[in-house]
Amino acid sequence: MSHVETRPADTAETGRAVTLVDCDVHAQATEAMLAEYLSSQTRRLLERYGRRTPRVTEWYPRARNAGMRADAWPGKPGHIWGSDPELTRAQLLDEFDVDFAVLEVLSGQDCYDDARLAAEWNRAINQWQLERWLEFDPRFRASIAVPHEYPDLAVNEIERCAADPRFVAVLLPASAAEPLGARKYWPIYEAATAHNRPIALHTGGYVDHRGAGYPSYYLEYHVGNGIVMQSQLAGMVAGGMFEAIPGVRVVLTECGVAWAAALRWALDSAWRLMREDLPDLGRSPSEQIREHVWFTTQPIEEPADAQHLIHVIGQAQLEDRLLFATDYPHWDFDSPRQALPRAMAPELRRAILCENALALYGLPRER
Amino acid sequence: MSGSVSPAIDCDVHCAPESYDALFPYLSEYWREYVEEAGIRLSALPYAYPPGAPTTASAQAHAQTGNPTPANYESLRERVLEPGKLRYAVLNCLSGFGTHRNGYFAAAIASAINDWLREEFLARDERLRASLIVSTISSEDAVAEIERVGDDPRFVQVLLPVRSEKPWGNPSRHPIFAAARERSLQVALHAWGRAGQAPTPSGFTTTYLEDYVANEAIAQAQVLSLVSEGVFNRFPDLKVVLTECGFAWLPPLLWRFDKDWRGVWREVPWLKRLPSEYVTEHIRATTAPAHLPDDPAAIRQLLEMLDAGALLTYASDYPHDHGDGVSALLGQLDDPARQAVMAGNAAALYGLEL
Repeated sequence: MSHVETRPADTAETGRAVTLVDCDVHAQATEAMLAEYLSSQTRRLLERYGRRTPRVTEWYPRARNAGMRADAWPGKPGHIWGSDPELTRAQLLDEFDVDFAVLEVLSGQDCYDDARLAAEWNRAINQWQLERWLEFDPRFRASIAVPHEYPDLAVNEIERCAADPRFVAVLLPASAAEPLGARKYWPIYEAATAHNRPIALHTGGYVDHRGAGYPSYYLEYHVGNGIVMQSQLAGMVAGGMFEAIPGVRVVLTECGVAWAAALRWALDSAWRLMREDLPDLGRSPSEQIREHVWFTTQPIEEPADAQHLIHVIGQAQLEDRLLFATDYPHWDFDSPRQALPRAMAPELRRAILCENALALYGLPRER
Repeated sequence: MSGSVSPAIDCDVHCAPESYDALFPYLSEYWREYVEEAGIRLSALPYAYPPGAPTTASAQAHAQTGNPTPANYESLRERVLEPGKLRYAVLNCLSGFGTHRNGYFAAAIASAINDWLREEFLARDERLRASLIVSTISSEDAVAEIERVGDDPRFVQVLLPVRSEKPWGNPSRHPIFAAARERSLQVALHAWGRAGQAPTPSGFTTTYLEDYVANEAIAQAQVLSLVSEGVFNRFPDLKVVLTECGFAWLPPLLWRFDKDWRGVWREVPWLKRLPSEYVTEHIRATTAPAHLPDDPAAIRQLLEMLDAGALLTYASDYPHDHGDGVSALLGQLDDPARQAVMAGNAAALYGLEL
């Protein structure tokens, strides 16, 4: 097992102040791009059998330009949306003066693989991120992709990548075989926390819609991403992981933010009534969420009255917990210039656009 | 409260037979023998309402002898109608939310419950109305039951569980809405449903806390389904009452729903208006549970985002107990809004005279 070489932390070469951190950028690897990092046995397995789970895009075709920005197609042989760091650099980093962009590579998060394939695939993703992105531009940061259904293997991969500070988070999907608060996944959270990395839980993963059953349309599914994360957060609170893993930090990614207030009220209300029988939950749910949970902004909700959004941010105590994200190159990309309402106070805007991310990821204030 | 308030309409009052014995008069010999042979007992929904859980019954209800859920007219009158000084009460009997999958049994039980409701309660007090119980396994059976008893004006709505195997907007379910509207019935989606299937999108809950709040997430998914599938386009007179599912979650959901629809409206071309407009017109919610912040200023902010006076219908949810949220909510409403919530909205929904 090769360890990622330690790189020296970026120093302030130019001395310009950081003003914008994008906390959810999708680099997408094709299977061909990952193949060079896979064993020949795994390459052959994939050639013969492929991945064994339908992709989310087969379940719910993205009824808007295949789910991507119309202008984000690289037009280079072998490349797809989000696979070309040159285009991402031009369209995102340079266009919007992004100081740091945190990559979330979702390729294959929605597939239920055997242990060998899962381990190799995620290792390949991380090597691809390192060689093709982190080495390409110093503004990129990466999330450690892990074989999350195999926590011991996931811990191995975290250990392998953690020495490189440019891997700033550990990435899991929002829908997994078990609820994400389940004890099964705690070793992953403990390892991430031991290496001072937050866990990014990104919308997506297996497609399963118990509770109300399978929706018919991408519209329902897409709005439903917020509902999925509500369920996951409720489970994380109730299952006690925030009490059991004191330093754990979770970034709820690409699920919206405005639902957090009402969920906190419901959980607190229920906890007050039931707390005698929840001995592992010493703190109220809202205290736990306040302490341990961050949210990326995209897709930011846009009520007709922008003040309402600002109210719910306050109600959920999210001022120092929101992390700006564009979700490049997806169709519902949030532009840094337009996504946050004008009514927002400058301090809050600045916190969301960079301060909160600098604090969470330990990024330098100047570069 | 200032000003005179007309007596309230309580839109979620629970009753349940003590046992299958109470339903035997309404079941065929085959089903009586089945119940006895299979050794089954009528479920009091212990997974939804654990007998000892604080939310299952208020201290006062627990203090009653026997089952806190009224099983006969006398106990209902004594515990709910008289103390509440109610003008009307809508009875929701959840005993049909079974775990079993036998469609014939589900249909038989639904019919038996409706007959029991009529004889035990509806015939004995003109203040009483009820939700019409149907099979949740078969849309055809549900339609048959609506056709059987739906002309009885004392049934005001069809009761469906909020938990389902397919979201309620799915076209396979539309015949239920058609049958309901043919008889001027609304539809209620009530918390809980079939036990034993995972209530979240990612698996089973292990604590009651999670399961309890899961009703709210599921209700949200049902709202998305009802609107997206064009239920309100096909049935423009239909109202759906989210019952015991909360409501404070609605504004953020609609912000996202509207925004996403603007992006992918081509996928659902039958929607001619913003999703939130359909919801405003066609969705209602009962007041209990009201999971609200402690801070009255935050409640006022919520009330700016949500037209409580239009959306909500009062419900005690007797005997269930969710804390003080409802009184905190009502205390923040002005008189017209409070009047609408306490009686006006339900009267309009169900065609009731005040």
